[in-house]
Amino acid sequence: MATIAVAKPRRDWVGIVFALVLTVVIVVPMLVVVTWSVSNVWRFPSVLPQEFGFKFWQMTLARSDVWSALTMSLSLSAVVTALSALICLPAAYAFARMEFPARTLLFFSFLAGQAFPKFGLLVAIAAIFLQLNLIATFWGVVLIQLVGTLLFMIWIPVAAFQAVDRRMEEAARDAGAKPLRVFWSITLPQAAPTIGAAVLLSFVGTFYETEGAWLIGAPQIRTMPVLMISFINNQPVIQYAAVLSVLLWIPSLIALVFTRRVVNSGSFARGFGA
Amino acid sequence: MTARPVSWVQPSRRLTGLLLVAVPVLLFAWMTIWPILSGLTTALTPQQADGSRPLSFDNFVTFFSDPYSLANLGITLWTCLITLGLLLVICIPLALYLRFAQGRLATYVQTMAMFPMFVPSIILAFAFIRVLGPNGMADLLLNAVGLPKIRSPYLTPWGPVIGLVWDNIPLTVLILVSGLGAVSNQAVEAARDVGAKPLALFWHIILPRMWTSVAVVVSFTMLGLFASFTLPYVLGPASPEMMGPFMQRTFRDLRNPEMALTQATITMVFCIAFGLFYVRAVARNRGN
Repeated sequence: MATIAVAKPRRDWVGIVFALVLTVVIVVPMLVVVTWSVSNVWRFPSVLPQEFGFKFWQMTLARSDVWSALTMSLSLSAVVTALSALICLPAAYAFARMEFPARTLLFFSFLAGQAFPKFGLLVAIAAIFLQLNLIATFWGVVLIQLVGTLLFMIWIPVAAFQAVDRRMEEAARDAGAKPLRVFWSITLPQAAPTIGAAVLLSFVGTFYETEGAWLIGAPQIRTMPVLMISFINNQPVIQYAAVLSVLLWIPSLIALVFTRRVVNSGSFARGFGA
Repeated sequence: MTARPVSWVQPSRRLTGLLLVAVPVLLFAWMTIWPILSGLTTALTPQQADGSRPLSFDNFVTFFSDPYSLANLGITLWTCLITLGLLLVICIPLALYLRFAQGRLATYVQTMAMFPMFVPSIILAFAFIRVLGPNGMADLLLNAVGLPKIRSPYLTPWGPVIGLVWDNIPLTVLILVSGLGAVSNQAVEAARDVGAKPLALFWHIILPRMWTSVAVVVSFTMLGLFASFTLPYVLGPASPEMMGPFMQRTFRDLRNPEMALTQATITMVFCIAFGLFYVRAVARNRGN
């Protein structure tokens, strides 16, 4: 064994240091949150909880404000994602496949929102909503979150439609298929996985959207992240917020599983201007 | 697309294309371009006692002569600069390691560095308080080995800095690693062959090829930090406060939209150079 170890290239010390530091800084805080959510009693100065258990899961899940926030978040995310898909996917198809005046200009116009600090833009939108009586309404929050999904619900599907093999479409058309039939049977199945990722990102992104919901929706519209803020600021029982954190995290973990390959690819970083 | 002349496209089809993109384009214009113009107009035409709105810089004079507003702008700039500095100091070595290392350990480091992307800010804020807050995990561990408690960064200006650095590590690393793709292995090996030390290698070969991605990171982070709300609101001090919570409080609690719009305009003006640079970088990549 010793001779093999000597023959190996030198140990990756830099990597070991990075791995250790990142594990402590990134994994430990998350473990602390999970531990808090399964501790019935954890008093200072014990390093571990005095009593483990799911008492606070039952108590948190029995709270009506948690259920109404969860329902609110899920219905907001569903409505925003559905509306976004309804208006963005046809537009994405048009951008990818049709010729019309000012196509490039309109396509890049969606970037304009990225040139401004987002919260400043939100305040400017809120001032307009104030005149329209959209503050503290469900549809006000839907609108503000819908705008947040436009950029990637158009740009990602455009890339998907552009990647579809045109020769297969032409072959189907030569065989006598009608345009709509070509779209359903050839174009859509090929573009579907990428479009699905965009829809999932839109749903999860809307689920966690905090700032628009807080600025426009409060106090009537209370989503899960907004409830979490009030738990952090006003709730003396730590476990409630801990259980809510773990609950709140589930959609993100689902997104992690499905989009990991997309995130690790170079094209994702290029989307941010790298 | 060059294969077919444009005249092949029938006029009715051109109209269909325009109609299909009309809804998102108009919605976007109404919710982005219009609010910015309208906000700027409102900030520049303060309402007088008689209800008239003459053009004047009064709102901006009020902002820049108010010590509290200036302190808030100052703490925002301080937070931006410190966070940006820390991000570059942490992420440039990390990105260099990920660019040149291979194997399972490198994959693990990359997974760890990407992980914060999947932790919503609000959960991060709670975890921060439970670890670094009063009687948090850090205090528990120090106490267990008989050491004094930490001076908690919670509710100090360092609170948002730590949270924002943690939150921004994944995208910063991604952008820098992507930028390091421009450094070819041959260039590095050639420099090593002639005996270049690691520092000289970094300074003369790698750094000149990294500037663009560093500039993208700087503008992306500045925009994000100037616009941050959740982490400064939950982790930062109540006074002075960063521009995000300040605008929110002016708008909702003080019910003064005109002043909130003035503050929003000022943050936009501070970011305009970074914003334009960033948008140009994204558009250039997409155009290729």
